[in-house]
Amino acid sequence: MKLYNKVLFFGFFLSSLCVYSQKDTIVTLKVVNLQSVKLYKHSKGLKVLDLTDSIIAKNATSFTSLLRFNTPIYIKEYGAGGTSSASFRGTSASNTAVIWNGININSINNGQTEFNSLNISLFDNINVRSGGGSIEFGSGAVGGTIHLNNELGFGAYSKHQVISTVGSYQTFHNLYKYSFGSETTAIKLGAAYNTSKNNYKWLDYNLENENGAYQQRDFNFSIAQKINDFTKISFFSSKYNGVRHFSGQLPNPSAAKEKYKDFSFRNLVNFNYHKKTATHNLKLAYLTQEYRYFADKNKEDYNFGKSKRYLINYDFSYKISSNSSIESFSEFESVDGKTDQIATKNRAQFSQSLIYNQRYKNLASLNAKVRKDFNSEYNVPFVFALGIEIKPLRNTFVRTNGSKNYRVPSYNDLYWPALGNKNLIPESSLQGEIGVGYKNNQFKIDLGAFYIDAKDKIVWTPGGDPDRPGVWTPINIDKVVNKGLEISTTYSINFVKHYIDLNTNYSYTIAKDKKTNDFIPYVPKHLLNSSISYSFKRINFYYQHLFNGKVYTTKDIIDSYAMPSFNIGNFGGSYNLIKNLKKELQFGFKINNVFNKTYQVLPGRPMPNRNINFNINYKF
Amino acid sequence: MKISNFLLSIFLLSVIFVSCTNDDDDVQEPKGAYENGILISGEGGPSGSIYYVSNDFSTTESLIYKKVNNNDLGVYLQSMAFDNENAYIVVDNQNTITVVNRYTFEKVGEITTDLKKPRYMAIAGDKGYVTNWAEGAYGADVDDDYIAVVDLNTFEVTKTISVGNGPERIVANNGKLYVSHKGAYTTNNIITVIDIASETTTEITVKDNPDELFFDNAGNLVVLCEGLTLSYNPDWTANEKTPVSITKISTVSNNIISELIFENGQFPSLLTFDGSYFYYNLGSKIYKVASDASTLPTTEFLDAAATNLYGIEVNDSYLFLLDASFTAQSKLDVYSSNTKEKINSFAAPIGASKVYFN
Repeated sequence: MKLYNKVLFFGFFLSSLCVYSQKDTIVTLKVVNLQSVKLYKHSKGLKVLDLTDSIIAKNATSFTSLLRFNTPIYIKEYGAGGTSSASFRGTSASNTAVIWNGININSINNGQTEFNSLNISLFDNINVRSGGGSIEFGSGAVGGTIHLNNELGFGAYSKHQVISTVGSYQTFHNLYKYSFGSETTAIKLGAAYNTSKNNYKWLDYNLENENGAYQQRDFNFSIAQKINDFTKISFFSSKYNGVRHFSGQLPNPSAAKEKYKDFSFRNLVNFNYHKKTATHNLKLAYLTQEYRYFADKNKEDYNFGKSKRYLINYDFSYKISSNSSIESFSEFESVDGKTDQIATKNRAQFSQSLIYNQRYKNLASLNAKVRKDFNSEYNVPFVFALGIEIKPLRNTFVRTNGSKNYRVPSYNDLYWPALGNKNLIPESSLQGEIGVGYKNNQFKIDLGAFYIDAKDKIVWTPGGDPDRPGVWTPINIDKVVNKGLEISTTYSINFVKHYIDLNTNYSYTIAKDKKTNDFIPYVPKHLLNSSISYSFKRINFYYQHLFNGKVYTTKDIIDSYAMPSFNIGNFGGSYNLIKNLKKELQFGFKINNVFNKTYQVLPGRPMPNRNINFNINYKF
Repeated sequence: MKISNFLLSIFLLSVIFVSCTNDDDDVQEPKGAYENGILISGEGGPSGSIYYVSNDFSTTESLIYKKVNNNDLGVYLQSMAFDNENAYIVVDNQNTITVVNRYTFEKVGEITTDLKKPRYMAIAGDKGYVTNWAEGAYGADVDDDYIAVVDLNTFEVTKTISVGNGPERIVANNGKLYVSHKGAYTTNNIITVIDIASETTTEITVKDNPDELFFDNAGNLVVLCEGLTLSYNPDWTANEKTPVSITKISTVSNNIISELIFENGQFPSLLTFDGSYFYYNLGSKIYKVASDASTLPTTEFLDAAATNLYGIEVNDSYLFLLDASFTAQSKLDVYSSNTKEKINSFAAPIGASKVYFN
């Protein structure tokens, strides 16, 4: 019930924002950290998916599977639970930016985020936006961005939540959340502990996924204090500690003995002052990240990479009229990064962006954005974006967006001894998209086409430097064009207490090297996921489906090296034993790979066959 | 229609009949589809793989192991060894040697235990000897490297012989094994001689990072010592190495007989031998030197113009050069070793590194 209220409230809140922008003052006092709201506001012409906590709950054991079954993202996963990277629209993994409460958290060392080392269950809401976002989120926001948000709400409540999941392969996921709200203070506290032996059978081969175990510990704390009607201060902190073993490969999984540990610690202080037409927001952040790679899990020795980031951001927005506003973001960031191979290097950056929002009646709205970065190491291109949304007829919309975005070279690209290339420049890309759609209370369809023209792509190439034959080295080489079509639909039916929700994402993607006209490997032409959920009173059932098209692993598109397409489905359900305003007790189950298909996402790495987990969700 | 079907079936029957009788008479029965050709092995991107090219260059076939066995070999396919019947495919990261019939490529077994980073295998009698890097580059483990002794009747590792750090190539001759120690993750400068009967080992010190091993016509051991990089240019090319040489060692006395030392700045990485001449590379240029020469040539034999020259092999008439790609198929260029003309060019596996004659 509460959940439903929350969703309803959020939906209402968004729609009110769209229709009467002056009303947002009321709401911002209610909820702290409106990353999601800000995102929607700045996403004219782009498609944003909202993964609510009920969707998250259905895939809570794996971030990878959450994205795989609910978003138009292609995931390369090195065996279930192994290294996992995401790409939008046929771009590379380093062209996907992950944003934690408004801050880009892609690794300094390799420019990517590893999705199996992020625990999602403690986030309140996740947004997935397709399309460029370098102006708001900096490097790597090229193909799209994934936003992890913690939310705090003032009010009068005190809630506990415990979720416990037990599954095949000795998988245990447990979390505890406490949230408290008064008129002036809001607190949220969360702890999660996940562990799995992850030793699933490789049925076709009479082998098993050896060395695949993982363990994650996660702790979150956030607090907000209302100082007066205009001033709020909030603090978000998150600490993560994970240990994973990297599972083996065909034909001999027993050869595997690698281990990987990662630690992250993220802290953000937010001062917010809002009065009449002006809003000032000051952010101070301190983030650390470290990985340790053990070539042999039985040994003490490891390779590592770590980084420390200090960030200060001043965001000023001014409402010019009820229909227009202007915002300025000024940000200074200092990063110290090092690995066992690279001595500490500092990189400092100042960036300034301007965003102008304009609305014309209820008919059209636009965002115009520019950003310039000044970086101590290289020239970052000037970037800009323009997004427009028009509602020509009742319930229909036309959206279009064009932007320039970039991805800076990572520390590994630049400084890796004997291999790195200090002359690298940032990748940049120009992109455009156009979409049309229809939306009413029950049904939404969005049909879009995109085009991305990227240059100076950083590619690790053997013999990339003619003076260094045989050496793998990163060079700014590829010009890549990605184009495609995307369809997404959501449909909700409701008849006498029966609720049915249907969501579908389909994308058709072509990515080609502009010079050679070769296809870019690891881009599925067809990617489709769909989920249907049925609820009646206290019962809920759902089914999730993924069709992952054939993926070529080589540039010359040879079938014998391709990964075949696969279809997989998950089926789950839940029953609420107790459901009232004060308490909620839910029992659930989920059968992953319900049709027991054998499939591989990446060569030599079979994925799990049918497996099951049970969960208890208790709110009080 | 019916008549034609009848005729067709008669014809098919006759074909079967004829081929059956032929088979019975034929003493020269082909041993398999992959006899009389060359095998090209590739380390892999997605998986290691093997391609076939017939000796007359008329037929080619890609991914022959996968085609026959509907399975992959894994990464990274380092090398192959052969006895009369079988081919032994060494895949280092998977600690695996897959055994196939060398002519049909049907899998006959695999060795997945007691190997740790296997690299190369030599065969003597009914035993295989496999160099293993064992554990990583750390601490005390640097010296845990070993030779695994494989019983070729059971495909089991029956014992191990401990050797110095980083054993790479291994060759057998006259009751002895010769192992070059390229140094695995670090560096080394020895050749280990193992007496097969007694399993006693002797070390011969050579220049740094010895790799390819051959026996010349006089029965001497020849090794390419590739040198240890001492300093890099600003663009990370090797600026200076410890001496690089082609070293000749007496297999009688285990003493160094002669050394052809390269000028500083000349860093060969590949060496092969056709019985009378050695071929080596400097970048993608190929040089040819007689096995009894006392000086190195100053001009190249031919320029392979390869992007990433990763393997060379030679027989009586042809020079085989592998231009490797790790993101697409590689290329095998065949040159006449007499006229230096390019004869042919074939697709080769991803990360192609070796050519074997079958």
